[in-house]
Amino acid sequence: MPDAAPLWATVILPVALVSVAVVTAGFDAVLSAAAVRGRPGSPREVGTWAAAPLREAFRLLAQQPRRTIAADVALGRIGVVLVPVAAVLAGAVLPLGFRPVSDPAVGIVWFNAMEALAWAAVWLTGWGPNSALSLIGGYRFLAQGLAYELPHMFAITTAALGAGSLRVGEVVAAQDGLWFAVWMPVAFLVYLLSAMAMSFWGPFGHPLGRDTAGGAAMELSGVDRLVLLGGRWLLMVVTAAVSVPLFLGGGNGPLLPPWAWTLLKTALVLAALVAGRRLLPTLRMERYTEFAWLVLVPATLLQALVVAVVVLNR
Amino acid sequence: MALPAVLPGATQARLGVEAELRRRGWETAQAPAAADLLVVCGSPYPEEDRRLDTLLRTMSQPAARVDVTRPEHAAQALDEGFALLRDKAASRSESPLGHEDAAAGKHDAHPAKGTAPAGPAHGPHHEHAGPGHPGQDAPGGHSGHEAHTMSTVAGLPMADRAADRDGLSLDRLNLPLGPVLADWPAGLILRCALQGDIVQEVHVDRVPGPSDGTSFWNEPWSRAARGEPVERGAAARRRCAAHLDSLGRLLSLAGRPDTAARLRRLRDDVLAGAPSVHCGERLQALTKRVERSRTLRWGLAGLGRLSAERARQRGVTGPALEADGDVHDRLLTWSREARRAVRDFDDGRPLSTGRLIGPRGTVEGTVPPSQALLDVLPELLTGTELGCARLIVASLDPDLDEPVAVPATEGAHA
Amino acid sequence: MTEDIVFWVLAVLAVASGVMVFRFDSMARATYALLLSLLCVGGEVLLLGLDYLGVVIVLMMTIEMALMAVFMVMFMMNPAGLMPMSMLHNKKGAAVICTTVFAALATGILLARWPARRGRPPTDPTMSLGMSLMGPQMLTMVTLGMALFATIVSTVVLSTRRGRYDRFGDDLRTRPADDPVPGGGGR
Repeated sequence: MPDAAPLWATVILPVALVSVAVVTAGFDAVLSAAAVRGRPGSPREVGTWAAAPLREAFRLLAQQPRRTIAADVALGRIGVVLVPVAAVLAGAVLPLGFRPVSDPAVGIVWFNAMEALAWAAVWLTGWGPNSALSLIGGYRFLAQGLAYELPHMFAITTAALGAGSLRVGEVVAAQDGLWFAVWMPVAFLVYLLSAMAMSFWGPFGHPLGRDTAGGAAMELSGVDRLVLLGGRWLLMVVTAAVSVPLFLGGGNGPLLPPWAWTLLKTALVLAALVAGRRLLPTLRMERYTEFAWLVLVPATLLQALVVAVVVLNR
Repeated sequence: MALPAVLPGATQARLGVEAELRRRGWETAQAPAAADLLVVCGSPYPEEDRRLDTLLRTMSQPAARVDVTRPEHAAQALDEGFALLRDKAASRSESPLGHEDAAAGKHDAHPAKGTAPAGPAHGPHHEHAGPGHPGQDAPGGHSGHEAHTMSTVAGLPMADRAADRDGLSLDRLNLPLGPVLADWPAGLILRCALQGDIVQEVHVDRVPGPSDGTSFWNEPWSRAARGEPVERGAAARRRCAAHLDSLGRLLSLAGRPDTAARLRRLRDDVLAGAPSVHCGERLQALTKRVERSRTLRWGLAGLGRLSAERARQRGVTGPALEADGDVHDRLLTWSREARRAVRDFDDGRPLSTGRLIGPRGTVEGTVPPSQALLDVLPELLTGTELGCARLIVASLDPDLDEPVAVPATEGAHA
Repeated sequence: MTEDIVFWVLAVLAVASGVMVFRFDSMARATYALLLSLLCVGGEVLLLGLDYLGVVIVLMMTIEMALMAVFMVMFMMNPAGLMPMSMLHNKKGAAVICTTVFAALATGILLARWPARRGRPPTDPTMSLGMSLMGPQMLTMVTLGMALFATIVSTVVLSTRRGRYDRFGDDLRTRPADDPVPGGGGR
């Protein structure tokens, strides 16, 4: 990719993504713990709940990895590592305010290509350990990919169409005054759905579902498990954060500096996803696929048509 | 992370362990890989005991096992387990090879073996080694299809070919589901033949249970059948808690973990004798949300249809017969019955010995109520996807604490 | 200099992983070796300054290979390619053909007299690519698109065993439809 990023930004990006992911996971852990244990007694208790993901991370670091018989260790390992790597690479086109770490001319396509890597990653993770339930989990993610990817592509294409550019920076600039979320609501909602689907999380967590004892992640322990589950949170943070420049006006906003607006909007989107996850049960793909192809694909196509007509008549 | 392994007849121990885990904020693992503490609820038979030890060896080090036979021992056992783990972690950091731990009593403390124990004892050879591995049938078991030699690779049986539902010849893998599996009826083993994630054939099996076959959930009605005086309120509480337990299992599988957790907390409060008004309000709020959820209905409707007519033929009594429909209808029935039971919490009159209908059906009959549920499983599961199969099993939730017998080793052929 | 290094690294990787497709005896590994090869090709296209094409190659090939792995493994349930097996047919012939074609193309590239560059690269290659595809070639693209779509639909129709009479009964009145697994569209 051209437009070499400033070196400091490449260092800061993963760190920033990880810290946002830790905070998000902590928030999610607090909501879950409140469901399991009832109202928290004190703010201190909330603090301990919020630190649960960190504690779990340290526990996994200390755990020895285990092997299964006749496993394809190489492919499984590649799959596990690909998840956070794809997330960070996708995050490279995230603008904090108006300037992404790198702003390639085809940033939106780049983002989409990196999420496609997650397809391969989850399947490989399920394939590696030579375990039936884990493989079923991997396959589920491919079915999920087939269900969510088309509406998702149409949704981000719609945003690019509205700006007349595939460059993320220009998409933000095009929303000065009116956010895309306002006049492309269908695309925005579909994007949010597919953000969860892509990070196989929440209602789209079937590939790692309880009914398969953890699905693709079932046989993972120690560092492998930490990398995969941590990578999942990273993916979630990145996709949620990309919705801000694509649909919510990026750094545009009164009073506050652009970076503050970006952070604030990202935090709101993440909070909405973490809270909204509790309203939906796990979506099994044999149900969702039909809905995606019969309802979402036509809806996003119509949305794109409306936007195209508006753009042509400007 | 704790991995509970629940044996038949250990419902009370399981409830104690669940409450204790909740109090500490420890998470329960879904599979051996993530866990470091194997919590065995109940007292296993020797063969079962050996299998659980094998399961322990497949867990990541450091790992420890504790056994809980009575609910009041849960706290002490978890403390001991935690101490064991701490000792092992400490000793491992001193010497990378680990050392024999002279543990006392029932606590197995396997020496940490380098990275992964890969001896002949280790490995996904049978059902306890995690639910995900192709299992060899236990000796005396059966393989549910043509007996031709299965090739093995690395000691694991390979898949066979068989026709699938679209007429293609696809690989068919034999996979036991259970007995150690999250949100799974204690002691149940389903020997499935899978093609992809389609369950083509099911054979019901079980872990041998306690000889007296007393079920915790049926206890008030069993006692009433024996002529002991039992208050209606106590029976109503037990029924309500049993349904909340089943609902928690089903909702957890359906991907509503928070609701499931709230229902389980309420279950424990109901059993602990919380005031009925307080229980009623919380139950009302929770069940209303569950019953109204459209997305839940959209996900569960149409799965595992069991009409009242067919249920009656197969001898099913209780909620599954009442529901007369699919998984979602059974969920609604449990939910409604739980709400109805709350009204009788403070009823001090004795239980009449007319028709004793427990949480899963008629108790004093010749056959335990869960027997019919188990018998109906193969026909409901054949041809479903694995995810749907799990939901169907959870929506019937057979209770293997009852003295149910598994059919002779003849798979239910589709 | 850097560009040269990147080019050669990607080129060697692409060819090496292409060779490994024939050497691996696990279907999954063969598939993903092919993907690695294609990703390297995508990288080379990026080096040429064709950002859009390069990234689209990465995007499409990843998804295609992920699906291809499914189709290859779909008929075998043994996870992790336990059975060392060869997915190749006509192994020798294929290897000969591949090597010959590769050698022929390489010699062609090396021996051809390449003309000196006359134009200048466009400022926005993505835009000009779109214009050339959708401008003068519009009719071709539209026809192609329709033909491909019709092919996909007819293949599915021909390959499916169940038609609407199986789903809705002989009088097409059975509701809900008799499906092995109910879908979520409420049909």
